[in-house]
Amino acid sequence: MVEIKNLTKYYGNKAALKGVSFTIQKNEVLGFLGPNGAGKSTTLNIIAGVIPATSGTVTVDGYDIVQQPVKAKKSIGFLPEIPPIYPDMKVREYLMFVAGLKGVPAEKRRTEVERAMERLKITDVQKRLIRNLSKGYKQRVGFAQALLGNPPVIILDEPTVGLDPTQLLEVRNLIMDLRHDHAIILSSHILGEISAVCDRIVIINHGEIKANDTIENLEQSMESSLILQLKVQGSSREVSKIAQGVEGVFSVSNIQFVKTGVYTYDVEIEKESVRNALLSALLQHGLEVLEVSTEKKNLEQVFTKLVNQKNSDGGLQELLAELRTESEAADAEDDGHKDDAGEFSEEAGDDAAEKEE
Amino acid sequence: MFALYKKELHSYFLSPIAYLVIAFFTATFSLTFVMDISNVTSSVYEFSFSSIFYVNLFYFIILLPLLTMRTFAEERKNGTETLLLSSPLNVTQIVLAKFLAAATILLTMLVVSMIYPVITAMYGRVIWASLFCTYIGFFLFGLVCIAVGTCISSLTEMPILSILISELVMLLLLLMDNLSATAFLSSIPVLSDILAWFSNQSKFYTFSQGLLQFSDIFGYVTEILVFLIWTIISVEKRRWSRR
Repeated sequence: MVEIKNLTKYYGNKAALKGVSFTIQKNEVLGFLGPNGAGKSTTLNIIAGVIPATSGTVTVDGYDIVQQPVKAKKSIGFLPEIPPIYPDMKVREYLMFVAGLKGVPAEKRRTEVERAMERLKITDVQKRLIRNLSKGYKQRVGFAQALLGNPPVIILDEPTVGLDPTQLLEVRNLIMDLRHDHAIILSSHILGEISAVCDRIVIINHGEIKANDTIENLEQSMESSLILQLKVQGSSREVSKIAQGVEGVFSVSNIQFVKTGVYTYDVEIEKESVRNALLSALLQHGLEVLEVSTEKKNLEQVFTKLVNQKNSDGGLQELLAELRTESEAADAEDDGHKDDAGEFSEEAGDDAAEKEE
Repeated sequence: MFALYKKELHSYFLSPIAYLVIAFFTATFSLTFVMDISNVTSSVYEFSFSSIFYVNLFYFIILLPLLTMRTFAEERKNGTETLLLSSPLNVTQIVLAKFLAAATILLTMLVVSMIYPVITAMYGRVIWASLFCTYIGFFLFGLVCIAVGTCISSLTEMPILSILISELVMLLLLLMDNLSATAFLSSIPVLSDILAWFSNQSKFYTFSQGLLQFSDIFGYVTEILVFLIWTIISVEKRRWSRR
């Protein structure tokens, strides 16, 4: 459905994309994953024809986005990062306008708009001003806009930002429903989101594709390292010192205070058998292990590993720069998560208030 | 393209701006009309409205940027530019739709102002042919103002800045013949001649005299095209540099 070949994008002499290539098949949900500033939005904007690429080609449904923009753009429904809505318009009015803009024939517009509103469950707000809607509803209006004209390819740039957990589930179900007759590209920096709905994942960092595979394959391809969660009574310094002394232990992290003298630890170990050695070492030193649990290696680790992979083959300078930006990205991401959490509760409150109205 | 034109026109009336601009224009037109009547000396009131239009040229310069200030600045602020750019429309069509919507408002204003010639015709005499020419000239001048405003709006994100700069540009274009007649510039005949070509005031003068001169129509149309093409280039250029 969509074929992307050797896409590059330069801003001045700063490269945002360095030769990105991948394809999306029909009836496929492709997860587009990367830390903030990796080039996700740039790539999606280029596919949607919003910005031109410096070099490389994008073919949508057989039409080149530069050579035959009208036909290519008609095959795409695009929901950008910020939903492109006019606050002064009413929901229905807005959707009718977008349907016209996309060249949906006048006699079909009404049914198209009805269908999109029903799918997004916004029929009950159709006569309200977009300005007065909550963030979640605005997001859904933006989503509805992308479905108008029934384009075979749907591009969603972080579609779940600002949605509460129920709405999140609804959007997920909607995507699962849409995949029957659409090709979908979904970008996100939230891993759970991607692993829930996507068939295949493309991981991008610093404008380069780091991985392009199914979730299962990605998880299998990684070396098997395990994370043990321990709850131990004793000095935290002593515990980490002992744990790090055991062969096969990679790292001790995320030390958290539970109560006086009791801490939890995340210990990364090489393989299953290291666990016993670790436990016996701790017991030998007279420490009391209160809880042990094994965390399954998941997409998150794959992601972190792939994003950090470049460190091994780059020069020292590059490596340092990489580490710096990486920690920044990680911080930003953490912040992002916190914000999301805040929005959820707020959002739920908003919606409750609206229902009361 | 029609969908975008319809939406643009509609959105002018979603905020009070279009109403206010039309009302303001009607008010200034009425006031100048009343003042003109009070100055009439002959018993039969007979004129072609050219003096009224002359005064209103200046009000236009203040008014029209209010219409055009939001054309592109607003799209960028709302993040709706992506919607337009990802739609099957090309940049030329987008610019044209926005320009035509503002031109429609201008036409509405002129149609409203027709009420005074009609009243005059009832109690006095109107030189219709001359009035018609003046209207054409006034409409073309208005279109130039809209093209300038649209162009400036595509360059800046701040509506207030777009108003001020558009007003400055329009004023310069309007008074270019006065400027070229200054002692310094008229000492260089070639330069003052070239500058005088750009004057919108002298172009309007021939229209107000009831003359339809090809060179003046051509001059206005050229100005409109130059600014519209400039707008297209500026939007297209930003497409390349945006993220």
